[in-house]
Amino acid sequence: MIDNFINILLIFPLVAGVLMLFIRKKAFDNFMLFLYAILHFLSSSILVFSGETAAGQYFATDSLNKVFLIVLSFIFLMVAIYNIGYSRHLPNLNIKVNNKNVCLYQIMIIAFVWAMTGAILCTDLGIAWVLVEATTLTSAYLIYFNRTKNSIEAAWKYVFMCSIGIALAFIGIIFLNISAGNINTLNFSELQENAASFDPFWLKFAFVFILFGFGTKMGLAPVHFWLPDAHSESPSPISALLSATLLNSAFLVILRVFNILNAANCSLYARLMLCVMGFLSLFVTAVFIYHIKNYKRMLAYSSIENMGILAIGTALGGFAYYAVILHLIGHSLAKASFFLTSGNVLELYKTKNVKSTKGLMQADKKTGVLWIASFLGICAFPTSVLFISEFIIIKEMISNGYYLPCVLFALLLTVIIYGMARVVIKMTYKNIDKEKADMIEKNRGKITVSMYLPQVIMLVILFISGVYIPPFLNDIIQGAFLAFQTGF
Amino acid sequence: MEHGFAILFGLTMLYLAATSRMISHIRVLVVQGILLFLISFLGYKETPLLNLTFLTVETLVVKAIVIPWFLYRILKKTHENRDDEANIPHFYCLVVSSVILLGCFLASNYCISSMKNISHIYFGIAASAIIISLWLITIKHKIVSNVIEFITMENGVFLLSLSVAKEMPVLVNLGVLLDVFIAVYILGLFVKEIKKEFKDLEVSHLSELKDYSDD
Repeated sequence: MIDNFINILLIFPLVAGVLMLFIRKKAFDNFMLFLYAILHFLSSSILVFSGETAAGQYFATDSLNKVFLIVLSFIFLMVAIYNIGYSRHLPNLNIKVNNKNVCLYQIMIIAFVWAMTGAILCTDLGIAWVLVEATTLTSAYLIYFNRTKNSIEAAWKYVFMCSIGIALAFIGIIFLNISAGNINTLNFSELQENAASFDPFWLKFAFVFILFGFGTKMGLAPVHFWLPDAHSESPSPISALLSATLLNSAFLVILRVFNILNAANCSLYARLMLCVMGFLSLFVTAVFIYHIKNYKRMLAYSSIENMGILAIGTALGGFAYYAVILHLIGHSLAKASFFLTSGNVLELYKTKNVKSTKGLMQADKKTGVLWIASFLGICAFPTSVLFISEFIIIKEMISNGYYLPCVLFALLLTVIIYGMARVVIKMTYKNIDKEKADMIEKNRGKITVSMYLPQVIMLVILFISGVYIPPFLNDIIQGAFLAFQTGF
Repeated sequence: MEHGFAILFGLTMLYLAATSRMISHIRVLVVQGILLFLISFLGYKETPLLNLTFLTVETLVVKAIVIPWFLYRILKKTHENRDDEANIPHFYCLVVSSVILLGCFLASNYCISSMKNISHIYFGIAASAIIISLWLITIKHKIVSNVIEFITMENGVFLLSLSVAKEMPVLVNLGVLLDVFIAVYILGLFVKEIKKEFKDLEVSHLSELKDYSDD
C-alpha cells in the first residue's frame, strides 16, 4: 500500500510531462506543476510520517532518506507557490523568451524534481548515479532559461563540469566493485552488510573518486566552480531548488558511501577527506564573499559554505551527526527563502549588481524585511535552527579537543557573516537612486502575494524550530540521527 | 586478440593528441566505438541475448555511429575545422600523452597484475585514456574539442568497467548510456547556441562570469 505513494512520486511527473508537451496551455502547465507539488508533498508526508517503510526493489524509504525527502517536498511546494506569481512575467523577461520556452521551463522543473526524488529514494548506487546525472541534464535548460550570454556560459560550465565530475564518480563505483571482490551488488544495504570483507585499499580509492564526483554536484571546494555561475544566472525559483534540494541529493549519496566506509572500518580516512574539503569550502567562501559584487553570487557562495559545514559535521561524527541533520533542514529553509527573496529584489531593480541595488526598505518594505530575516536565518542568528547546529558542531570540536580547527571554523564563519552583512545592509538601508525610483515603483506591482508567502512560511519554521521542534518532526530527525550513527 | 584491440584503443588516444583537424577527431571516435564493440563482443563468454543486444546498441550504434554523426553535423554547421591554438604544440602533446600511456601501462602491470579479477592491460589503457582526455580538455581552445575529449573520457570509463570481471546490472548500463547520450546531445545544442551568441567557438569567451570584476 505504502509503495503506491512512491509510484505517485515517480510516475505522475512522467504522465504530467507528456500531457504538458501535447497540450501546451499556460494555465494547464501552471496547474500541473502545482498539482505535482501538492501530490509530492502529500505523498512524501505519508511516506515520512506514517511510521511505515516503503521497500521496493530499487526505490524505498529508510530512516536516513526520509529527512531528505520531506525537505525536498516542502521546498518544492514553496517554490511552486512562488512560481505562480513569478511565471506570470516570464514571457516578458526578454525578447528571446516565448511561451514555448515557458512551457518547457515548467516541464523541466517537474523533470528536475522527479530526478532528485528518484536519487533520494533509490537503494542502488548505480541508479543513484544515473539519477544524479539526470538532475544535471534536466536542470541545464532551467539555468539557460534567460538566454543571455552569461546564462549560456553558466549552463555550459554546469553541464560540462558536472558530467565530468559524475564520470569520475562512476570510476569510483567501478573501484568499489573491485574492492567488493566476489560480491556483485550495488545495493547500499548489501554493500554495507558486506563492507567488512571489502579490500580497504580499493575502497579508499573508490571514496576519493566518489567524493570528488558527487562533491562536484554538492558544491564542495575545490570542485565547486560551476556553482556560483549556475546559481546566479538561473531564474530565482530554480536557484532556490538548486541550492536547497539538489545539493542535498548529492550529499545523501556521499553519506551512504561514507556509511559503507564506516562499516569497513575505513572511516578515519573518509573523515579526513571530508574535513579537508569542508574547511576548503569555508575558506573559498570567506575569500570570495568579502569583495562580492553580485548578490546572487553571494548566496551561491553561502551554499558552498553550508555544504562545507555539513561535510565538517559528518567528519566529526558522534553528536555532530544530529547537527548535520538540523543544519541540512535549516540551510534548505533559509537559503530557499533567501534565493526567492533575491528574485523579488531582481524583479524590482532589474540588476544583480550590489552597487546598483540600494534602499530595499524604501523600494519594498516587505521584500526588505524578508531580505534581512533570511540573512539573519542563514547567519545562524538565534533562534534560527542553524544556530543550534553550528553551536553543536563547535561544542563537539571543543569536547574532542580539536581546538585549532574550532578556532579556524569560528574565524572563517565570522569573516563570511561580516562579508554577507556588509552587502545586505548596504542594499537594505541606503536611499534609492532618484533615477531608478520610477522604474522600481512600476516593478513593485509585479510582486504578488505568492512571492512573499513562501518565504514567510519558511522563515517562521526556521526560527521556531530553533526553540521548539514538534514531536512528529523530532521523531524523523532522531531516526535519521540513529541511522547516521549505526548505518541503516 | 582483445588485448590487441585494447592496445589499438590506446594508440587512438595518441592520434587524438597529435592532430588538430576536428574531422580526424570524429573519425577517432568512430574507430574507438568499433574497437570497444570488438573488445566487449570477443570478451563476452556465454553472453545472454539481452546483454549482447545492449552491447551492440551501446558501442556500435551509439558510440560509433550516432554520436560521431551528431558531432559531424555540428561541425558542418559551425564551420569549425581546426583546433590549432592549443596551449602546447602538438608534438609535445604527443610526447606527454605517450608518457602518460606508458606510465599507466607500467603502473597497472606492476601493481594490478597480481589481482585475478582485473585485466591489467585494459585497466592501464583505460586509465591512460581518461587521464589523456582530461589533460587535453585543459589545453584545447575549441569547445567542440572539449566535447570530443569528454566522449573519449567516457569511452575510457567504459573500457575501465570492462577491465573488471564483473558485470554492471543492465539497468545501470542502460541509464549510463542514456545519460551520456543526452549529455552529448545537450552539449551539442549549447555549441550551436554559443556559436550564435559569440560568433566563434573559443573556450576563452566563456570566462565572463567571475568575481572581482564588475557585473
